[in-house]
Amino acid sequence: MGFGRKSTFIFFALVLSVLLVNAAAAANIKVGIVLPLTGEQAKFGEIEKRSFQMAADEINAKGGVKGNKLELLFEDDTGKPDVGRSAVEKLISRENVPVLTGAYSSSVTAAITAVAQQFKVPFLVTTGSADEVTEKKYDYVFRINPPASEYPASVITFLQEVAKPKTAVILYENSLFGQSSSKSFEADCGKLGIKVLTKEGYNKGAVDFKPLLTKVKAQNPDLVYMVSYVMDAALLMRQAKELNFNPKVFIGGGAGFTLPEFQKNAGSAAEYVYSATLWVETVPYPGAMDYFKKYRAKYKEDTEYHGAEAYASLYVVADALKRAKSITPKDVRDALAATDMMTAFGPVKFVSYGKKTQQNKLPTFMVQWQKGSLETVWPKEVAKKKYVFPVPEWNKRK
Amino acid sequence: MEVFLQTLVAGVLKGGLYALIGIGMTLIMGVMGIINLAHGQLMMVAMYITYVLHVAGVDPYISLFVAMPALFLLGCLIQHYLLNPLLKVETILPENQVLMTVGIGMVLTEIVRFIFKSDYKSVSTGYSNATFFLGNISFSVALTISFFIAIAFTVAMFFFLIKTDIGRSIRATAQDKDAAVLMGVNTGRITIVTFGLGSGLVAAAGSLLAPVFYVFPDIGGPFTARAFIITILGGLGSTVGAIFGGVTLGLAESFGATYISMDYENIIGMTIFVLVLLFLPGGFKRLTKV
Repeated sequence: MGFGRKSTFIFFALVLSVLLVNAAAAANIKVGIVLPLTGEQAKFGEIEKRSFQMAADEINAKGGVKGNKLELLFEDDTGKPDVGRSAVEKLISRENVPVLTGAYSSSVTAAITAVAQQFKVPFLVTTGSADEVTEKKYDYVFRINPPASEYPASVITFLQEVAKPKTAVILYENSLFGQSSSKSFEADCGKLGIKVLTKEGYNKGAVDFKPLLTKVKAQNPDLVYMVSYVMDAALLMRQAKELNFNPKVFIGGGAGFTLPEFQKNAGSAAEYVYSATLWVETVPYPGAMDYFKKYRAKYKEDTEYHGAEAYASLYVVADALKRAKSITPKDVRDALAATDMMTAFGPVKFVSYGKKTQQNKLPTFMVQWQKGSLETVWPKEVAKKKYVFPVPEWNKRK
Repeated sequence: MEVFLQTLVAGVLKGGLYALIGIGMTLIMGVMGIINLAHGQLMMVAMYITYVLHVAGVDPYISLFVAMPALFLLGCLIQHYLLNPLLKVETILPENQVLMTVGIGMVLTEIVRFIFKSDYKSVSTGYSNATFFLGNISFSVALTISFFIAIAFTVAMFFFLIKTDIGRSIRATAQDKDAAVLMGVNTGRITIVTFGLGSGLVAAAGSLLAPVFYVFPDIGGPFTARAFIITILGGLGSTVGAIFGGVTLGLAESFGATYISMDYENIIGMTIFVLVLLFLPGGFKRLTKV
C-alpha cells in the first residue's frame, strides 16, 4: 500500500539523517549534566553550571579528551525528582551520553541515580549528599561530595577542643538532606556526650521561626546546630537576634550558611555564625585559588564549595574518559572506578567503607562570618583568621 | 509563661499580615464566586515592585503607595481582558475562570523569573531586624507596624463596603448578581473594580512582608494556599471574617510550632481547614453575620 511504502521511506530517511548527524558530531564526547536551573535551588544550579562550563572550556582549550571536545548537555531538574528522572531518561535514550554528572538536591539525586543504574550509565554525583545515595550498592554511581553525615567532621573537633558544649539543639529542614544530616549529627552528639535537648524539623519557606526559637531559647542550650537552605538560614538568624537568643555558638551544617545571599539577607545577624563547609579557596589543594580567581574574573561574583565540586567533577570525568578503553558507558564506568587524582576540590578516589560504595573521602572545614566576610577558622592548619569564641551576646553588640 | 506570651505575640502579628492577604481573596471570592489561584503570585509581583523601588532608595512603606495602585490596575486589566471574556464563552467546563487564574499565576511567576532570575533578593531596611521589648517579650518593629497597617486597611475596607455607593454595589453583586443587575448595578464593572481592590490589598501585604521576609519568584504558591484557608475560615466575602481567619491561622501555626512541632506547620493549617468545612461550613461569617 502507498501508505506503507511512504512510511518505510520516511523511516529510512530518519535513520539516515540520524547516522549523518552522529557522524558529523563524532568528534564531540557528550557529557550529560542534570542541575536545578530553575526553581528554588536555581542559585546553586547556576554556580555549578558556570563552573562546569569553565572546566569544559579549559579542558577543550588544552585539546579535550584525546583530541575530542567535551560537549556539555545541561538538563533542568527544577528541583523535583520526577522532572529529574525524565531529564536523565532523555539524556540516556535520546542523546546516548556515555557519562552523567551533576545532581544537586538529595531527593532528586536519589531518584536519578536509580535511572542511571538501571540503564547502566556511569553517574558521578556532584553534590546530592544524603548518605543513602552511595549506600544502595549501585556500581554505576560515584560521588565526589562527602556524604552529609561527614560534613560536621571539623565541627566535631572544634566542639571537642574549643567550644565544649554540654547541651545542643538541632533544627533542620525536613528534606532528605536535612533529615540525613540531623540524624547523623545527633549520633555524633551522643558520642561526644552532648545532650540533645530538641531535634526538630520545619518546612522550608516558613515565614516565622519565632515560636520554634522561643521554645528552644527556654531550654537554654549551649549549641544550636542548623541544617538549612540559604533564606531559611537567614530568617533563623535574624529572628534569633530579634529574640535575643544567645547560645554559646550557632553552627550551620553546610548548605545555606556559606552563600553571599545569606549574609545579604541576614545582615548583622550573620555575624559570628559558624558553618561547616567542604571547601574554601584557601585549602592547600593545587588549583583551588586559581579556580576561585578565574570564577570571580569571569562572572564578577564569588563562588563557593558547590562550584568547586562541579569544577572538579568535570576534571574527574575528563580524566576517566581519557583512560577509558573506549567511550562506552561500561568502559567509562571502569575507568571512573580506578580514579586516583588531585583536583581543585581535593584528592579524588572512590572507595568503599561501611555501607558506602564508590564514595570519595574528604576533610571538611569550618568558617565563620566576621565583619561581613566569610573567614576560614578551623582546623588551625588552614585557618586564615582566629575564631571568635565565645560569641558576644546580641544585645551587648554595637 | 514567657514562651506562651511570645508565641501568642508571634501568632497575632503574623495573623495580621495573613488577614490582609485574606481580605483581597475573600472579596474576589465573595463577589465573583471563584477562587483566585493567582492571589499569592500577585503579591509576589508587588514584592518585586517594592524590591525594585528599594534598590532605587525608596522605603517599603512608601512603595506601598506605588505597589497598591499598580496592582489595582493590573487586577482590573486581568479581570477585564482575561476573566470577563470567559463568561461569554460556552464550554463544558463551568469553572474556566479558576483555570485561567492558575495560568495567570504561572505566567506572572515565569515573567518575573525571566526578568530577575531565580535569585533570592532581600529588602533590608534599618528596621528589618529592629525589635522592642515589653518585659521579656520581643516585638518585631516591622511586623508590629504592618499589623497596625493591616488593621487600618481592614477597617477602611469595612466602611468602604458598608458606606459607599461602590461598596454597596459590591455587596449587592456578592449577595445576588441577578438582583443587582435588575437594580441597575453594572456588575461587569463591579467585578473589575473588585478584582482590582483585591489585588491592591494583597499588594499592600506584599510591600509589608518584603522587609521581614525575602523576595523570590516562587514565593506566591504557599501564600495562595494560606489565603484560601483564611477565606474558608472567615467566610466568603466577609472582611471581619478574614481578620479572624488570618489571626486564627497565625495563632494555630505559632502554637502548633511551639507546643507540637514546626514539622507540622502545614498540616495544622490544613486540619483547621477541613474541620471548618465539616463543622462550621460558611466560616466565622455564620457566627458574626457580617
